[in-house]
Amino acid sequence: MTKKPNYKAALDELQTIIQDIESGNIPVDQLSEHVKRAAELIKTCRTILRTTEEDVARILEELESSEST
Amino acid sequence: MAIDIAGKKVFTLREVAQSIQRTLNERYKSTFWVKAELNKLNHYSHSGHCYPELLERIEGKVVAQFRSVLWKGDFDRINKAFNAVLKEPLKDGITILFEASIQYDPVYDLSLRIHDMDPSYSLGELERERLENIERLKKEGLFTRNKQLEFPDLPQRLAVISVETSKGYADFLKVIDQNPWGYKYFHFLFPALLQGEKAVDSIVAALKKIKHVQHHFDLVLIIRGGGGDIGLSCYNHYDLAREIALFPLPVLSGVGHATNETIAELVSFRHFITPTETATFLLQCFHDLSVPVENTFEKLRTAPGKAIRQKHEQFIAAVKYFSLSVRRTLDSQDQFTRQIPQRIQNTERQNRQLLRQQLDTSTERLKHSGGYFLIRQKTLLDSYEQQAKMLDPKLILKRGFSITMLNGKALTESMKANEGDVIETVLFKGKLISRVETKKK
Repeated sequence: MTKKPNYKAALDELQTIIQDIESGNIPVDQLSEHVKRAAELIKTCRTILRTTEEDVARILEELESSEST
Repeated sequence: MAIDIAGKKVFTLREVAQSIQRTLNERYKSTFWVKAELNKLNHYSHSGHCYPELLERIEGKVVAQFRSVLWKGDFDRINKAFNAVLKEPLKDGITILFEASIQYDPVYDLSLRIHDMDPSYSLGELERERLENIERLKKEGLFTRNKQLEFPDLPQRLAVISVETSKGYADFLKVIDQNPWGYKYFHFLFPALLQGEKAVDSIVAALKKIKHVQHHFDLVLIIRGGGGDIGLSCYNHYDLAREIALFPLPVLSGVGHATNETIAELVSFRHFITPTETATFLLQCFHDLSVPVENTFEKLRTAPGKAIRQKHEQFIAAVKYFSLSVRRTLDSQDQFTRQIPQRIQNTERQNRQLLRQQLDTSTERLKHSGGYFLIRQKTLLDSYEQQAKMLDPKLILKRGFSITMLNGKALTESMKANEGDVIETVLFKGKLISRVETKKK
C-alpha cells in the first residue's frame, strides 16, 4: 500500500510559506520558488481530500485469510 | 377407581393426574404475583402463543425452573405495554414480575399460566443492570478508554457497521458520497444486526472482523437509523460496551433515539443521534482541514504581489533617503566653508577684546591695591612712632619719675650703694646731689 502524503505536514509547510511571504521574510529573487512550492502543496492537500486509494479487493483478501486461519 | 391387582390397590395414570389436578385446583384458587427471570420466551409466530421458560438463579446457579404458558391474547397486550414502557418487546433474558395461576393438565403436565405482567418492574431491572454495567466498566478502567484514543488527522477511511438495506445507512451514504465539495471518503460495510437480542453478538463479531484489517481504516462507525426506538437495550450490554471501549480505532456511534443514552454510546469516542448527523460531523472534519488550505490559496494570489510592491516601495524610499541625506551633507559642508573667513575674523576680534579686557582689569586692580598698601604702611609707621614716643625717658621723667645714678651709672638696686656714697638724682628739669645715710632692702 502506498503511503499517502501527510495532510497535516503539507498544511503546516504551506502556512509557514504564506507567513514568510506575507511578513516579507523571503528575498524577492526567491519569491517565485516559494510561490511554486505553495501552489504544489495546495494541490496536494486538495487531492488528498478528494481521492482515496484503498483497495477493496485487498481488504476482502485479508478478511478471508483471517477467517480461514 | 382403583382396582385390585394381585393384592395391590392400583390407579390408572389418568386417575393419579386427575387427583393431583383436583388437589391443586382446590389449593390454588386465585392468581398470585411471581418474580422470575424470563430465560426463553418461546414465542410461536404461527399460533401466536408463548411457552416461556422461567428460572430463578442464586449466584448464577439455577435454584428453580418452571414451564409456563402465555396465550396469544395476553401476549399481544403485554408486549404492547412493554414496547410502550421499556421501548423493548418482551424478550429473553429479562427479569419479569407477572400474575400467574397454577395449571395442571394430565397431558401437558404442570405449568404456570401468565395472565399479566408489570413492565415498569422490568424497566427498573434493566436500568439497574445498565447502571451496574456502567459501574463495572468504570471500575475496570474501560469507560473512557476509546475516548482517550487520538482522533485521526484525516478521518477518511471508514469501517461501517450497519445494515445494507436500512434507511439509516442509505442516509449516511447519501450525505458523505454526494457532498458538494467533492470530498472523498473510503467506506467499507461490515453488516450486522443492529437491534434486538442478536445484535450484541452480531456487532461484536463485526468489530472483531474490522480488527483484522484495522490498518486500512481510520474510524469505525456504527450506523443505525429508521428502526424506531424499540430494541435498543442491546446497546446496554456489557460485552458490546467492552468491545467498543477496547477497540483500537475511535468508534463513532449513531444508533438512534434512546431516552437514556445507551452504554455503547457513552463508551464510544463520540456519539450522534442520527446517521445524517454522523456524516455531517465527518464533512465538518474535512472542512476544518480544507478551510486553511483555501485561505492560503486566496493569500497566495495576493501575497507575492504585495511582497514585491512592498520591496519596491522600500527601495524607492531608500533611494529618496539617500539622495536627501547626500544633499543635506553637501549643503552643510558648503555653508561651513563659506563661513570660515568670517569665523576667523570673529575669533580674532573676540581674542583682542578679551586681551584688552584682561589688561584693563589688571591695571585697575594694580591701582586699587597700591593705594591700599601705602595707607596700611603709614598707619603702621604712626603706631610705631607713638610707641617710641611713649618710651622716651624724658616723657617718663616729666611724669615725676627720676633716675638715680652712682658713679655715672643708673642705680637700680639699693644694695649696690654704700652709706656715705654720693649719688646724683636726675629729674625732668635739673639734678640733685645727695649723700646716702642709710639703705634698706
